[in-house]
Amino acid sequence: MKHFALQQLVQLVVVVVGISVLAFAILHVIGDPVLLLLPQNAGKEEYERYHKLLGLDQPLYVQYWKFASRAAHGDFGTSWYTDTPAFRLVLQRMPPTLYLTTAGLVCALLIALPLGILAALKRHSFVDNLCTMIAVAGQAMPIFWLGIMLIIIFAVRLKALPASGYGTWQHFLMPAFTLGAFLAPITMRLVRSGVIEIMNMEYIRAARAKGLSEERVVIKHAFRNACIPVITVLGLQFGQLLGGAIVTETVFAWPGVATLAVDSIRNQDFPVVQCAVVLLALIIVSVNFLVDMVVGLIDPRIRIGA
Amino acid sequence: MLRTIATGFALLLFLAGASLTPADAQTKDDTLVYALQSDVDSWDPPNSVLREAIILGYNVFDHLAVRDLKTRRVVPNLALSWKALDDTTWEIKLRQGVKFHDGSPFTARDVKATFDRVLDPTKKMTARGNHAKIKIVEVVDDYTARFKTDGPYPLFVERLTAQVMQSEKVIKEKGHEWMQEHPIGTGPYKLVKWDRKHEHLLVRNDDYWGPKPAYKFVRIRIIPEQATQIAELISGGVDVIKAVPPDQMDVINKSGQARTSSSPILRTAMIQLDQAARSGPNPFTDQRVRQAANLATDMDVIIKHVLNGLGDRVATAVNPMAFGFDSGLKPYKQDVGAARKLLAEAGYPNGVDITYNQSPPTVEPGLLQTDEAIVADLTKAGFRVKQNYVGDNTVFVARVRDSKAGPMFSFSWGYYSVFDADAILHDIFKCKETYSYYCNPAMDDLIVQGRSTLDQKKRAEIYVKAQKLLFDDAAYIFKWGLRGVWGISNRVEYQAPPDEVDRMFLVTPRKKS
Amino acid sequence: MKAVSAGGAVVLEAERTTAPRAPARHVSLRRLWRFKWGVVAGAIMLMIVAGAASAPWISPYDPVTVDIRHRLAPPAWMDGGARAHVLGTDQIGRDLLARMIYGGRVSLVIGVAAVLISSSIGVLLGLAAGYVGRRVDWAVMTLINVMLTFPFVLLALAVIAVLGPSLVNMIIVLGVADWPLYARVIRAETLAIREREFVIAGRALGMSHWRIVFRQILPNLVSVIVVIATLQVARVIILESFLSFLGLGVQPPTPAWGNMLGEGRLYMLNSWWIAAFPGLAIFTTTLAINLMGNALRDWLDPHMRL
Repeated sequence: MKHFALQQLVQLVVVVVGISVLAFAILHVIGDPVLLLLPQNAGKEEYERYHKLLGLDQPLYVQYWKFASRAAHGDFGTSWYTDTPAFRLVLQRMPPTLYLTTAGLVCALLIALPLGILAALKRHSFVDNLCTMIAVAGQAMPIFWLGIMLIIIFAVRLKALPASGYGTWQHFLMPAFTLGAFLAPITMRLVRSGVIEIMNMEYIRAARAKGLSEERVVIKHAFRNACIPVITVLGLQFGQLLGGAIVTETVFAWPGVATLAVDSIRNQDFPVVQCAVVLLALIIVSVNFLVDMVVGLIDPRIRIGA
Repeated sequence: MLRTIATGFALLLFLAGASLTPADAQTKDDTLVYALQSDVDSWDPPNSVLREAIILGYNVFDHLAVRDLKTRRVVPNLALSWKALDDTTWEIKLRQGVKFHDGSPFTARDVKATFDRVLDPTKKMTARGNHAKIKIVEVVDDYTARFKTDGPYPLFVERLTAQVMQSEKVIKEKGHEWMQEHPIGTGPYKLVKWDRKHEHLLVRNDDYWGPKPAYKFVRIRIIPEQATQIAELISGGVDVIKAVPPDQMDVINKSGQARTSSSPILRTAMIQLDQAARSGPNPFTDQRVRQAANLATDMDVIIKHVLNGLGDRVATAVNPMAFGFDSGLKPYKQDVGAARKLLAEAGYPNGVDITYNQSPPTVEPGLLQTDEAIVADLTKAGFRVKQNYVGDNTVFVARVRDSKAGPMFSFSWGYYSVFDADAILHDIFKCKETYSYYCNPAMDDLIVQGRSTLDQKKRAEIYVKAQKLLFDDAAYIFKWGLRGVWGISNRVEYQAPPDEVDRMFLVTPRKKS
Repeated sequence: MKAVSAGGAVVLEAERTTAPRAPARHVSLRRLWRFKWGVVAGAIMLMIVAGAASAPWISPYDPVTVDIRHRLAPPAWMDGGARAHVLGTDQIGRDLLARMIYGGRVSLVIGVAAVLISSSIGVLLGLAAGYVGRRVDWAVMTLINVMLTFPFVLLALAVIAVLGPSLVNMIIVLGVADWPLYARVIRAETLAIREREFVIAGRALGMSHWRIVFRQILPNLVSVIVVIATLQVARVIILESFLSFLGLGVQPPTPAWGNMLGEGRLYMLNSWWIAAFPGLAIFTTTLAINLMGNALRDWLDPHMRL
């Protein structure tokens, strides 16, 4: 187990370093950051001063080292447009995004688990085909369209839910459902294939032979083991979720990190972009690590084999 | 087992989510909700050029004088009276018993401190140009202040409505940085909190010297998407929205939940061209190219079909409501052939490539739609336009300030609500002014002449000359005087303000009949 | 069986060391009937592709011709509609049908081009990792992990912020971001095939590595590649629509279903056709491709674990 954990940890570190290099590179690929920062007609001395201030006169690896060491302390510089520290801005917007992604995950599970299990149990029947069709259709639906339609139906026409914003549990419903709908198709198919795999395994047949009812077979044995691939996928889907969150947050005016990142990219506010990229990566990587640990704990094949 | 954990976790989350309701628990009945498309860059009105900052300033601060919206005359506010002692001296008597939000009394020393700060050239405050004619403010006694001006200043009284009064104590003790996020004024509302780019919360100032606002709380929500603003308005989530695109007015009016209200406003729209080459060399330094751009577009059709008639065509950027407007000057008429010819003469027989920096539709109704129509017109005449939309007003304005907005960018000017041609000519057409990309010494002369005489007849003549100059020189692409369009919920009584300032303290709940 | 997320499509990685592959193809028309959904979907796709390809001939107007006087015209069958504009016009009078056809062109071109790029990179790297093994394998796997950890959308946004939004940049970004998906699967397959008898025999006979890889291994992977590629075209189309919706993809006035949807968003409550038709188009196309891809997979090799 220790060897496995170590291996995962090493990978985690490598990935984080890789992301930080990427984030660092962003600022330098765009061209001259001083030119971006200063007014058009700034004089030469002003230019020189800022050049020195930003540390751009030093070799790249020194700059990277400074960037990385400062980042490790939470110092990503100040936003170019609002004079607030980038770290503070990103941190402030983190909770709404995290709540949304978790709520989305839960929604996805609520949809995918029952449907997937049902489809697996009634394999090749009409119900199964229906579920598969729903999954395929769900994958084809652009979620921003779904989100907008939900707003029109539930907020504008029915006036049952708030059209946008953040604050009460009602504000969560539509965005969480939208995000969940984004993830559900894949999760459903996974649950289904997972359960099917397991249903055919020896120990299930043994349980059946023992005379256990079908429900007990499913719930006690099959489901538990089908959870492994599901957890793995969900953990890995966290990164994917963030992609869906960007569009969901935009449609519902959700004050999260995703919209902050998109705005900062559009405004070329690079300190904030760097901070958002690194922090988000850290979170995703940590979640993946945790998931790998949990799965490794449950399923010895993973940590020994692989 | 896993299922229990999962359910438990989910439950925890929803509980956490539910606990997110703001602690103050304002109810729907005592809270007015106002939507802005883009957030302010600061709560220090003289340091911001954004209209939103001016609007918010009106609600949290007071001015020495204000404009009566019905009579259009300047009436007393924090200043009870004013008189000119001589050509270059004015004396103002102040209202007594007024307190700032922090409890300190409002006196002439605060007037002096406010103006000293704004006029200080080292501080580079945005509002400095407005008040540059004021040389110094003297404190005569606690409630009397004397202003000395640099030569005769005909707009002195008008401009009393264009500066909020800030606290000397705050300026000296807290400093500039603090003031950007903490407004301490004498006004009807106080700022409770500001979540940048998300929302502001204001609470009623129960010690206000004037009439108390009807709503205890004001929530200012930042909603960047116009579609979302409209959805919120007609579903009851927001009470007032601005700059509604005219082609969406029927959606609001038919909803049964809200209505639209429109009014001609002082704001004039235009497309600035980088004649002064602030962003570097570009085709618009050539007068023929600028004229071609004006001849390429059919603004009348755009106003008619895209704005449904809600716009007042103007020949230059001087608004029909402003003093000095020359109604005799006729605007450019579309002539694509002539435009092409001019381009060819200027050295672009095969057209020219330009980038158009577009601002978000925070104050100009239908801006996105009219922009597309204008770009289409320009393209037909040979201008290959690359559109660059900047969604954040703070960023856009910063680029304009930093001389990075050229060669062409969408712009509008609200005159700081001063109904005079000087209020636009000085800031938008004078050499080296922060928001001016035009530089013409002849124009500068006219501007200086116009603000140096108290003879209104003479001023009017000077301004006729100025407008003719702008027209012939095709300084910018001229558009129209705006009609503001507001979306207002049926649960409140409110109407479109002709000076574009949303006075939240005047909004009252609609009585149920 | 191990479930891994590969950038959005979940891949059940086959731990195939000994399980033999089912016989390759069993082409017969009768068997085709079992995949009637796939065939129908295929026919629809054919029509869409044909329509897109023949755009200049069948389109009633130029998609960028502006006609202010006839803006926001409803479709022909509604009140106020006219035969002149069958699907209506948008907010500056451009014909919607023309924009739909040309938009389809743009979406399909981006989809196919991006997939060509990502499959080429992915297959080559996957082959290298699987065949050469050891350090190359480690390097490629780490690279894959770094890229998969990161939510694609954020990466795309950052890159486009740097390069500027345009058609070509979109293709590059989408192409480069998706190769890990292919690489991972190809690597697993290569690892499996590498141990097969005919390959070992080939080495014994003195065949060069190049021949083995390109003449023996690769042909066996064609069906896998084709299935993944087909499904990926659908995914790229949806991703492109995401980016264009956010304003960071294809720029107006070039029509693309994504940016048409974004522009039409404001009009959903009165001139709904501007957003509805592109949305429908994205949905239909993606659904058809998915169905086709699934059917293709089942037809070529029902045991394929994808």
